[in-house]
Amino acid sequence: MRIFDPHIHMTSRTTTDYEQMYEAGVRALVEPAFWLGQPRTNVGSFTDYFDGLIGWERFRASQFGIRHHCTIALNPKEANDPRCVDVLDVLPRYLAKDGVVAVGEVGYDSMTEAEEKAFAHQLTLAIEHELPVLVHTPHRDKLAGTRRTLDVVRESGIAPELVVVDHLNELTVGLVADAGCWMGFSIYPDTKMDEHRMVTILREHGTDRMLVNSAADWGRSDPLKTLRTGEAMLAAGFTESDVDTVLWRNPVEFYGQSGKLMLDPLETGAPTGETFEGNSVLRGARQ
Amino acid sequence: MSTLRFGYGTNGFASHRLTDALAVIADLGYSGVALTLDHDHLDPFARDVAEQTRRVRDRLGELGLGVVVETGARYLLDPWHKHQPTLVSADPAPRIDFLRRATRIAEDLGAECVSFWSGVQPSDVDVETAWLRMRDGVAAVLETSGVRLALEPEPGHFVQHLEQALRLRTELGSPELLGITLDVGHCVAVEPKNAAECVREAGELLFNVQLDDMRPGVHEHLEFGEGELDLTGTLAALTEIGYRGLAAVELPRHSHAAPDVARRSITALRAADWLAGAERSVRADPVKIRTLFPAAGRKAGRSPLDARGLVHGTTDDHARARLLAALADALRDGELAKEVAELYRYGDGAERRGVLRGLHLLPGDAEVIDTGLRLVEDALRANDIGLVAAALGPFAQRHLDAHTWRHGVLKCLFTGVPVAAVSGLAQRADAELVRMVTDYVAERKAAGRDVPPDADLVLQEAGQ
Repeated sequence: MRIFDPHIHMTSRTTTDYEQMYEAGVRALVEPAFWLGQPRTNVGSFTDYFDGLIGWERFRASQFGIRHHCTIALNPKEANDPRCVDVLDVLPRYLAKDGVVAVGEVGYDSMTEAEEKAFAHQLTLAIEHELPVLVHTPHRDKLAGTRRTLDVVRESGIAPELVVVDHLNELTVGLVADAGCWMGFSIYPDTKMDEHRMVTILREHGTDRMLVNSAADWGRSDPLKTLRTGEAMLAAGFTESDVDTVLWRNPVEFYGQSGKLMLDPLETGAPTGETFEGNSVLRGARQ
Repeated sequence: MSTLRFGYGTNGFASHRLTDALAVIADLGYSGVALTLDHDHLDPFARDVAEQTRRVRDRLGELGLGVVVETGARYLLDPWHKHQPTLVSADPAPRIDFLRRATRIAEDLGAECVSFWSGVQPSDVDVETAWLRMRDGVAAVLETSGVRLALEPEPGHFVQHLEQALRLRTELGSPELLGITLDVGHCVAVEPKNAAECVREAGELLFNVQLDDMRPGVHEHLEFGEGELDLTGTLAALTEIGYRGLAAVELPRHSHAAPDVARRSITALRAADWLAGAERSVRADPVKIRTLFPAAGRKAGRSPLDARGLVHGTTDDHARARLLAALADALRDGELAKEVAELYRYGDGAERRGVLRGLHLLPGDAEVIDTGLRLVEDALRANDIGLVAAALGPFAQRHLDAHTWRHGVLKCLFTGVPVAAVSGLAQRADAELVRMVTDYVAERKAAGRDVPPDADLVLQEAGQ
C-alpha cells in the first residue's frame, strides 16, 4: 500500500513516527501550517515556523524516505489575535516557495468577523498564486460552520476543485460533495471520525474527491490512521485500486494542482550522514 | 511568460522521417518548425511535390505547428559540391529556380517566410560582381514570390553581417517582402554587437530567428549553455521589439541525438524566457521579486555549474543574481537595501545563496554596501558551506574587512570549500593570512592529520 497523508503535523511528531510511517507505506505527506497548542505572540514566531516547514522538517522527512510538502496560512484560531494578523503581509513570499502546495489551514474556528476577514483574504491569495486551499471546519457548531464556510468559498470565486474542506463527518459530507469541493476526513483514535465510519461514508459517496488523513499533531492522534483506513477498506471489500485512489492518487491529484509536488522517490528510508544547512538528524559521532 | 513562439529546425532531425520529426517536435511543446527542404524532407524536385506539400500542411495543422521554410540543404542542387550553386555563382539560375520553388511550397504550406543565404563568394569573383549577382538574384526571386523572404547573414558567406543584409535591402528599394533571418549564435561568432543588439537593430525587419549557442570566432552550432550567448538577454530583446515570428532552434549537426537535444533545448528556452519575463516584472513592479525570487529554482533550473556548485554557483544562483540586478534598476539606496535584506531574511538556503552571489551587481550606495556586509557576515557564521562559498565572491573581495575576509578563507579550508570560490584570493592574500594558514598547516601536521591541498594553494596564491 502506498500512502500520501494529505494532512499531518510532523513538527510535533517523533522520528519513531517517521520510521513507522515509512514501514506502513507512507512516501509523501502534506503538513499544513497550524497553531502550536499555545498562542503565538508575534509575526516572527510564524515566519520561523514557516521556515522550519519548508526547511528542517522537509529535510527530516527526507531522511526517513518521505517526501514532505506543506501548506502556509494564518490559521483561523490566531486570526483573532491582532498581534498575529500582520503575518498576512509576508504570506505571498512563502506561497511562492518550493514544496508549498496549498494555502491552509484557513477557515473558521469560532466564526468571528476577524476569522472571516482572514479567510476571505487568503482565498484571494490562493487565486492570485494559483494554489489549492485547505479549509478547516470548526469543531463546535460544525454543520452551520461548514455551511457558512462554503458560502465564503463560493463568494471568493475560487474554483471548487481547488478547495478541500477538511474534518468532515456524516453530517457535513453531503454539503461539500454538492458544492463540488474535495472532501477531507481526519481519522482520529477517539473523536472526529474513525476508520469504520469512514468506510461507510466511502460506500455511500464513492471514492471521488475523497481525502483521508491522520491529522496527527501534538494531541492524542495516530499517524498510522491512513493505513488503518486502507485496511478497513480492504476488509470491507474495496479493491486495492480503490484504496490506492483514496490514499495516493486523490491527494496527488488535489495537491498536484499546485504544480509543486515533489514525488520522485528518495533513495533511502533510513537517515544518512547528509546535512541540512550543516545539521544532521544523527546523534553522536558521524563522518 | 512572453509571447515568443519557439520552433525547432528539421535539419536537426535529419535522421527522422519528416512526419516523425514533426510529431516529436510538437510533443516536446514547440510551437513550430523551421522546415529545411531536402532530398528526404519534402523534396522540392519530387514529381509529387504538390501532394507531399498538401500532406505536410495537413500534418502541421493537426499538430498546431507554425512553419518557416529553410533553404540551406547541403547537396540538394549539386551532389558533389556543398551548398552549390549559390546566388553569387557564375550561373545562379539553379539556385534562383530552387528558391522560387521554395516560395511556392511556402505559399502552399501557409509558411510565414522563406529563409535563404547568399553563399560563399567564389575565389575568382570580386566583391562588386558578387554584390551585383546577389542583388539581381534576390530581385529575381522577389519578382515571383508571394511570401516573405528572409536573408540570413551566414558566417563565411558573402553576406555574413547583419549590416550587409540591411544594406542590400535598402539598395533593392526596401521591398516589403524582404526581411532578415537572424541566427543569434552567428551574432556571437562574427557580429561586432551582441545578439540582443542585433535583434534591436533588425527591429521590424526581423522575419525569422534561429536559436543556438556559439563561441566568438567559431562557427559551430552549440546547445544552449555551451557557448557565450546571453540567451535570456536575447529573448528579452525579441520580446521588447514585439517579435511575432518563429524562433527556431538551429542545431543541424545534432541529428544523431535529436529528441534529447530538442528536449534540453526547450527546457533551456523556457527557463530563459521565464527569467527574461521575471526581470521585466521586477523592473515594472519591484514587489514582484518577493514571489519570483523563491520560484527561480523551479522555473530556471538548479544545476550546479561545477562539481558541487561551490565555485561558480548554480543555474538558480545566476537567475537570482539577474533578478537582483533588475531590482537595482527599479529601487535605490534605502529601499533597495531593505528589499535585499528581506529577500535574505525570508529566503531558504538557495535564495540566500542567490542574494550573496548577486551582491556585486548592486550599486555602490552606502546603505546597500552596509546591508551586503551584514549578509556576508551572517553567511560566514553559517554551517551551510553553500552560503560560505557564495559569501566570498566579488562583493566580499571589494568590501569585506581584512580580518573577517581572512577568517572566511580559513573557514573554507576547515569546511572543504574549494578556495577557487574565493574571489581575488591572489590580490587580497596578505602576510597575516599566510601566517594563519601556515599555523593551521603546522597544527594539522603536528596532529598527524592530512593537510587540505587547498592550504598550499592559498600560500601559492599569496606568492609564498
